[in-house]
Amino acid sequence: MIMKHTEKELTLLRDEVSQMWGLVLSQLEKARQAYMNNDAELAREVASREKRVDTYELKIDSDCENYIALFGPVAVDLRLVLSLIKISGTLERIADFADGIARQVISGSCMAIPDSLKEDLRIDKMFATVISMLSDCFVALESENTKLSGHILAKDDIVDEILHDDKRVLAEYIQQDPQQALPALETMLVLRKIERIGDHCGNIVEEIVFYIDAKILKHNRNNEKE
Amino acid sequence: MTGKRTNQKIAFWIFRILGLVVVAILFWILGFIIYHGAGVINWKFLTTAPTDGMTGGGIFPAIVGTFCLIIGSMIVAFPLGVMSAIYTTEYAGNGKIVKFIRVMTNNLGSIPSIIFGLFGMALFVNTLGFGDSIIAGSFTLGLLALPLVIRTTEEALKAVPDSYRTGSLALGATKLQTIWRVVLPSAFPNITTGLILSIGRVSGETAPILFTAAAYFLPKLPSSIYDQVMALPYHLYVIATSGTDLEATRPIAYGTALVLIIIVLGMNLLASFMRRHFGKKVKTN
Amino acid sequence: MIEAKNIDFYYGDFHALKNINMVMEDHTVTAFIGPSGCGKSTFLRLFNRMNDLIPGARLEGECLIDGKNIYDKSVVVDELRKNVGMVFQKPNPFPKSIFENVAYGLRVNGVKDKAFIAQKVEESLKGAALWEEVKDKLKKSAYELSGGQQQRLCIARALAVSPSILLMDEPASALDPISTSKIEELIHSLKNDYTIVIVTHNMQQAARVSDKTGFFMLGELVEYNDTKKMFLNPDKVQTQNYITGRFG
Repeated sequence: MIMKHTEKELTLLRDEVSQMWGLVLSQLEKARQAYMNNDAELAREVASREKRVDTYELKIDSDCENYIALFGPVAVDLRLVLSLIKISGTLERIADFADGIARQVISGSCMAIPDSLKEDLRIDKMFATVISMLSDCFVALESENTKLSGHILAKDDIVDEILHDDKRVLAEYIQQDPQQALPALETMLVLRKIERIGDHCGNIVEEIVFYIDAKILKHNRNNEKE
Repeated sequence: MTGKRTNQKIAFWIFRILGLVVVAILFWILGFIIYHGAGVINWKFLTTAPTDGMTGGGIFPAIVGTFCLIIGSMIVAFPLGVMSAIYTTEYAGNGKIVKFIRVMTNNLGSIPSIIFGLFGMALFVNTLGFGDSIIAGSFTLGLLALPLVIRTTEEALKAVPDSYRTGSLALGATKLQTIWRVVLPSAFPNITTGLILSIGRVSGETAPILFTAAAYFLPKLPSSIYDQVMALPYHLYVIATSGTDLEATRPIAYGTALVLIIIVLGMNLLASFMRRHFGKKVKTN
Repeated sequence: MIEAKNIDFYYGDFHALKNINMVMEDHTVTAFIGPSGCGKSTFLRLFNRMNDLIPGARLEGECLIDGKNIYDKSVVVDELRKNVGMVFQKPNPFPKSIFENVAYGLRVNGVKDKAFIAQKVEESLKGAALWEEVKDKLKKSAYELSGGQQQRLCIARALAVSPSILLMDEPASALDPISTSKIEELIHSLKNDYTIVIVTHNMQQAARVSDKTGFFMLGELVEYNDTKKMFLNPDKVQTQNYITGRFG
């Protein structure tokens, strides 16, 4: 069966989102490396690529608008286009956070903290978790499989727990050495950004579930778990 | 509610009875003719000439004559009628000239047939010098059939959907090609039907051939189109009214009537058969 | 390229088209939309001079195809119509076989070579995405086909004379949704080889198949724009009101 041209347009749209996804994943991975290794060079690369992410978002938005205006999608097609609009917006936000972390690396504002503290704060673990969430989301969309959704949302809880523990760790650190309060607060901002990335991945999961199963997870995710 | 229903039932029954009355009249006439005429008809009656001052023998020359006149009149009426119908429906538009032609055509159709006979005698028999002949009779009958042929052809052409014409023109066909390749083939079944119906009309006419073609008694077959012929309707008239022995010829008259009716009915059946047959064929060709 | 310059068109005293200017590029699909009686079909029929058949019709202005005024005295209408094919609202196959329907245009244009005709018929039916469905019954009557197939047959019939332009006057308005979507797919694929102008009542159809859209109202071309622009952010308020259904 030859693909109809409306289907082709939709495939193109999905391809664009996939490319954007790949870019955001690499931005996030690079931001992590830049932060963990204090690599200002790599951080600059992340910052300079932020524009490309924005361009993708604008392009996908306008393509989705055109698709709705021209082809008047219904049912599963409509859900796909709606969720792609939201997903591209969310991806852009995630990339913003990666960019923010990279800029903190460039400014050197949080570099004064010792590696041992990074260790205690389990920052790398947080990074790894949100990156795997984001790539799991991608797999879920590509394979149109929502079985992964519970798994991904569980990872978000891990990130939340780490952040919860980190507050105490940082508080103790500041008490021990009030001179280091400023870099510690900067570090808190990084942690906060990573945690927000986790939340956004959760939103993406909701959109994917909306697209594939037409279920609304938003705002009652907890009921679902119980 | 029930009042309305009852009224409706009564009305339908009245219509039904009236419809049946029409059929009954037809069957009555047919039955009457068949009852009196069937006994006379045999092979010899159909294939021999009248004998004994038309009190004996058959009606063969009259049958042949009638067919000659039918064919002749169609040769006159068909091309003329079809072509003028094509002109009025396909080419002429809806102007004053066409309206005039149409009104005149209808007037031609309402002229009594005896007038055609007189006109035919004046023009074909005398002025053109054909004499009492097949050709003079054919022209006269042809003129008589013309309005019918034109009207049925016009109806047939109008029944061809305009979308065929626009479709053909849009493909770069000329108007003539469109008429020849699409319109006429589509209209052909209906045109043929009209033609055969007019044959039915022509074959029963007596008045137009009275002065132009028909012979009172001529027990031989025509050898050219300038010969006189016997014809069934006129023969019937003759043996029913002015024979040498009316009582003796009565059965022959009924036999002749039966043959005439069979020819006319046969034409009508043929018309409806052809319409159905060609109707199918045109669509697949 | 099709060009309309200062077109005014009258049916007797009725001013049906008012000063219309428009350019349609090669290998594009242009859709005309607008309420009934807005003049879009009249405008379409200017390009194969179908309006010539209407008594009392009068045209002012110029219709150019590839730079040549098609209303020039030197233009032979039959030749023009060979180059500018037309598909009508209701499928109108001739009461002939499927094969003869497609061959018709060739035959009236004097083609006698049987092998060439057979080849052209096959090509055209393939071009209209109908070949697979009818190749075993080419001798059957065109009226044995479904409505959607008949319409594709009419498209094949138009393709057979190798036009460069196809005019379509609401080609899917008499068809069911499945047949409609097949026709739309076909229009989309024909774009590569033909310049297509389509009149449609169905705005979504215009949106789906066309590159550019012209919106007509009361004989005027209100807006002529890229289809994307037209359906997302039209320049004119009237266009917006019409495509959003707020009109009248």
